[in-house]
Amino acid sequence: MYEEILEDIAHNSALRETNTAVKLATGAGAILLCLLSPGFFAPLFVAVTLVLALVLLARVDIHTLLHVYMAPALFALFSIAVIVLVSGGGECFWRWQPLPWFALSLSRDGINQGVLVLARFAGGTTAIAFIALTTPMTDLFAVMKRARVPDEVTDLAMIIYRTIFVIMAHVVQVYRAQIMRLGYSTFRESVRSFATLCGAVFIASWEAGEDLVRAMEARCYDGKFAVLGRDRPPAPLSVAAVALFFLTTGALAVTTADITLI
Amino acid sequence: MHIMEGFLPLPWAAFWWAVALPCLGFGIYQLKRILSADREALPLLGVTGGFIFILSSLKLPSVTGSCSHPTGTGLSAICFGPFITSVICAIVLLFQSLFLAHGGLSTLGANIISMGVAGPVAGWVVYRILRDTRVHVYLTVFCVCAIADLVTYVVTSFELALAYPAAVGGVASSFVSFLGIFAITQVPLAIVEGIVLALVFKYIVTLKPEILIRLRVFPEEKIRAAAGDAP
Repeated sequence: MYEEILEDIAHNSALRETNTAVKLATGAGAILLCLLSPGFFAPLFVAVTLVLALVLLARVDIHTLLHVYMAPALFALFSIAVIVLVSGGGECFWRWQPLPWFALSLSRDGINQGVLVLARFAGGTTAIAFIALTTPMTDLFAVMKRARVPDEVTDLAMIIYRTIFVIMAHVVQVYRAQIMRLGYSTFRESVRSFATLCGAVFIASWEAGEDLVRAMEARCYDGKFAVLGRDRPPAPLSVAAVALFFLTTGALAVTTADITLI
Repeated sequence: MHIMEGFLPLPWAAFWWAVALPCLGFGIYQLKRILSADREALPLLGVTGGFIFILSSLKLPSVTGSCSHPTGTGLSAICFGPFITSVICAIVLLFQSLFLAHGGLSTLGANIISMGVAGPVAGWVVYRILRDTRVHVYLTVFCVCAIADLVTYVVTSFELALAYPAAVGGVASSFVSFLGIFAITQVPLAIVEGIVLALVFKYIVTLKPEILIRLRVFPEEKIRAAAGDAP
């Protein structure tokens, strides 16, 4: 819950002051290269390089990184299992066909496909983690304004962002009080407590929204929010490092395209 | 249930982005229209987005032992309609990928279609069918939220099946496999989410019925009747 929010880590990251466009380009470029790579080496290289950058340059705790991977990894493993079992082709090690139109098999191509998806997942998730753990959301709002995203969307995003923290504090208080009163001791009790928590949060959100309307009206709100976009110019060394990273990954993607696990 | 980063091959990721953008465009058009008519709507839409984010980052009591999160889009679809919900959802999904590492950026288009468009549209259709009938408001909310959740999961399975068709049986066979494996968590999750959000609705009806009356979610007499039913 509260502890899982990556935003706090981004604010304390050693790469916090690095130019936002450089960090976004690194993450987005890494995701694109992972998807373009036909082999699993390049996405794994992206994952390893960006983990090292996060730990050594951004000074992010390794336990935090592992925690980031845990929740998506569960979904990923389920999905990869299905991809491996339904994708046939090549040498077949095991096969089960209960219906004429439905078969599960463990084949060479299926396993290689699963490994590629796993590598792309690792590379892509690390690239997202790189953006998330080094770039606070407030910096992204300035980028959204510069990218000419409609004002209504940017303003809505800013209010949602602000509200998250207001509501979060409320949730933590209610949740801890419920835990203290054994509100989650049985399944039935958990459902009831969870519903009460959500209901209380909805009403608190609504009241926070009404307070916000009053506060904005009192400050002559005219339908547009001001965004303070202070950003350092890109450092030549960081641009060179990112270019080298892209070139190495691209070269690796081309040279290792035909290498498979089995 | 989000598709994680790296799961969709580039052509499919681009395809779902291309499908999602017109839906978002229509949602933004509706958003602009609402905001030009009533400026006060912006903070209220904002807190709804915050609520969806918080709701979807809370762990739901799960019968399968897995880590499950409600989507909360059914409630938003009832309150604001499906296309405004798609814009709110797109922002929430972006925040989820950047705050919690749930979902992804290349897969954002596919996730917007499943969680931000298909689920809310299905939930909204059920809501429009049941709204003016004699079906109780809590049962209506349960059906809307459970259907929105189930449709989100079905569409996600379809998106994955299109990207990874089976060697035998093609897309249909792959779709059945994805449906089957995710049914273990998603079907109980949809039922629990429906129950939880119906209880949330009951809580709001009991304590702050004026919010629901102002939003014209249900006819006032239905809300008053439900408030009278609530202990």
